Amino acid sequence: MIPDYLLFPVSLLAGLVGAMSGMGGGIILIPVLTFLGLDIKHAIAISILSVIATSSGSASAYVRDHITNLKVGMFLEMFTIVGALAGAAITLASSPRPLYIAFGAVLLGSWVALFTAEHQSWHTGPQDSVTRWLELEGSYFDKSLKETVHYRARRAYLGAPMMFGAGMIAGLLGIGAGAVKVLIHDLVMGLPPKVSTTTSNLIIGVTALAGTSVYLTAGMINPGLAAPVILGVVAGAFLGTRLLVRMSNQAVRRLFLVVLILLAAEMIVRGIRGV
Amino acid sequence: MGPDSQPSRQLEMDALVGYLLLSGVLLSMGLIVVGLAWRFANTGRVSFDYSIKGMNLFQFVVNEIRLVMHGQLSPRVMVSGGIVVLMLTPYLRVLASMVYFIAALKNWKYSLFTAFVLAVLTFSLFLR
Repeated sequence: MIPDYLLFPVSLLAGLVGAMSGMGGGIILIPVLTFLGLDIKHAIAISILSVIATSSGSASAYVRDHITNLKVGMFLEMFTIVGALAGAAITLASSPRPLYIAFGAVLLGSWVALFTAEHQSWHTGPQDSVTRWLELEGSYFDKSLKETVHYRARRAYLGAPMMFGAGMIAGLLGIGAGAVKVLIHDLVMGLPPKVSTTTSNLIIGVTALAGTSVYLTAGMINPGLAAPVILGVVAGAFLGTRLLVRMSNQAVRRLFLVVLILLAAEMIVRGIRGV
Repeated sequence: MGPDSQPSRQLEMDALVGYLLLSGVLLSMGLIVVGLAWRFANTGRVSFDYSIKGMNLFQFVVNEIRLVMHGQLSPRVMVSGGIVVLMLTPYLRVLASMVYFIAALKNWKYSLFTAFVLAVLTFSLFLR
């Protein structure tokens, strides 16, 4: 078992790095908890519970600033929650080794995404009839541009099934999978970057709740262990978003590239060697 | 536009959802902090090991309420309460949005969508 006194600091660190990299706490938390000796399924269950807290906390501010698009969120949630229920059910039935390897693969994928990350300019495009019927459009006041940005989403018929997949990854591995959701919002549905990240935050909370419900009924949530972890991740995320403003993006990115590749290697090796 | 126009109603809904999420998370964190501090004051340890054996959220809540009714307010009940509040936060957010789509915005499409989300969550949290 993990020593008590390590739970809080380790989770704080995971929340901090997760918030600063934009990848979320779970992606660091789970490898570290398993490294310290917690069984991977319990680590996944605790992590997905803590995801509810971090995503709801940050979503609240963006929703009140009217940047989050509630309709886009509500529509896509229908798909992510079903995906999360399926994903969590698969994890319960699976043996630990494929979970380690799947987690390692997601870490490698995040590494590639971060390594090749570049900012593309956003522009609004033509809207198809399905997406128009779904009323997926909106506007928000951009504080840095000092103007109201109007946008119309597109290709909801493609985005929806892909969000099922994103929800499945979230439920399966106990992470927010925010990076996957943002990618779908940006590239497939053509949402402006600010809307896509903030709306993804809103969706993550409900998706994590669906996943948590499966782990709770399976008796995999240990409140005594979960409590210090949740507090640590939330405190870390809170600090991370404030610290981020003062650090250069390049430094954070380089540090995180190293951390990700190490964690990916660790998870895959453990998966292959059978822990 | 008047105060009852659709866009201003939409802004009201943003505020409602935002404050619901914020107060849920703050209340939950508060309960967990108090529970852990209490536990630490009693025993000098922050964590305690107990798992919920195969209970859905409804059974979990009933169990906790029963403990409180019997005057057994303990660090454990505070921590569990924090976890219950945390899990109910997104659930209530969906419920509030559904009511808003039905009553204030009268948007049948989104009333149906949120009703579906709520039904799936209700099934997986309370009925299984």
